[in-house]
Amino acid sequence: MTKANVSVIGVLDEIAIQRAKTGDLAALERVYRSYEGMVYSLARRICRTAEDAEDVLQETFLEICRSMGKFRGTGPGSLTAWVKRVAASKAFMRVRREKYRDTDEFIEDGPVAGRLGEDVGLQLDLESALARLPETSRAVVWLHDVEGYTHEDIAEMMDRTVSFSKSQLARAHKRLRDWLGGE
Amino acid sequence: MNRHCTTTELLAVRDGEGTVGAADHLAGCTVCQRELGLLNQRAAAMRALATRRPPRDRWPVVKARLLADRRRERLKQAGWATLAVAAGLTLAIGVRTIDLTPTDNRPAAALAQQANAALTQLRQQSRQLEATLRDWDPRGRVLSGRTASVIAELEDRIAVVDMGITRTTTGSAEQQRLITLWRDRVHLMDALVNAHVTRATYVGF
Repeated sequence: MTKANVSVIGVLDEIAIQRAKTGDLAALERVYRSYEGMVYSLARRICRTAEDAEDVLQETFLEICRSMGKFRGTGPGSLTAWVKRVAASKAFMRVRREKYRDTDEFIEDGPVAGRLGEDVGLQLDLESALARLPETSRAVVWLHDVEGYTHEDIAEMMDRTVSFSKSQLARAHKRLRDWLGGE
Repeated sequence: MNRHCTTTELLAVRDGEGTVGAADHLAGCTVCQRELGLLNQRAAAMRALATRRPPRDRWPVVKARLLADRRRERLKQAGWATLAVAAGLTLAIGVRTIDLTPTDNRPAAALAQQANAALTQLRQQSRQLEATLRDWDPRGRVLSGRTASVIAELEDRIAVVDMGITRTTTGSAEQQRLITLWRDRVHLMDALVNAHVTRATYVGF
């Protein structure tokens, strides 16, 4: 199926979800088409490379399609939450498997007001600044501030503590503030 | 609190977990209020970033692997009946057979020894190919739709051969059949390794 006719598929409804649960391939493809952008975007924010994000996309939908029959929700809302959760989990597995190392240490937190950026004169746009963040910090800020996960959720997904998630969020914002300036 | 809030404190206040001291300071400090505003703007800007589309369509690969799952499941359920049919197809691969019929010049004991040696060699080749595949780490790589189909087909055929090997006794009467099955397995494993390696080379360009 080409990108041109993706929009023809339309929004998933409960009937399509029920059909997908029976293993109907056309319905499963509708699920895929509905969520591929969301899953790829999420994976791209967590993984280092586009290739890794593609692998996460593939592995996420293999699991979704294989487990669809066991999915207990009925509406698109619960399906979205489940798909996101599987995608985030696969992305973290990928990061762990590739033994990516987040080597830079957390810098002691200090008052933020009026502070000049660490890279004075370096003005980045938001996309570049996000890409420049260490992947753990980027993943946490994305999951918390964009996807709406709690620190408890993130800690569970990353197999870390809640305080680790909080410190990574602060670290990400501090860096972004330094790089992006006063906006 | 007689200092400005840290990022951690601002985030805690934003998320409803701030200390009374930080909240009180924020209420009366325009500098910290501005920082909190910037923090909220950054989060809003991130939410507004466009959704990214994957550069390649991965659905054909997912579909091919799902179909392979289903074929494997059907084979498992069908058991012997399917084995008989599918093994027939598998055995169509050209194999050089060893004549294990005793003759005056080739006593049974020598033939059995020859057959055992052939089996040992084939098992060793099969193990080496399995190790090569493991080292290649195929699960960590992206497949094209066509390659995924080829690989799924090869995996199915290997599964059929494995069923045959499991169900063939090691008695001398079945020795020829066992050798043929192991030779098929080596051929199929070799093709599987080649499929993975060729695919990876292609993706690398």
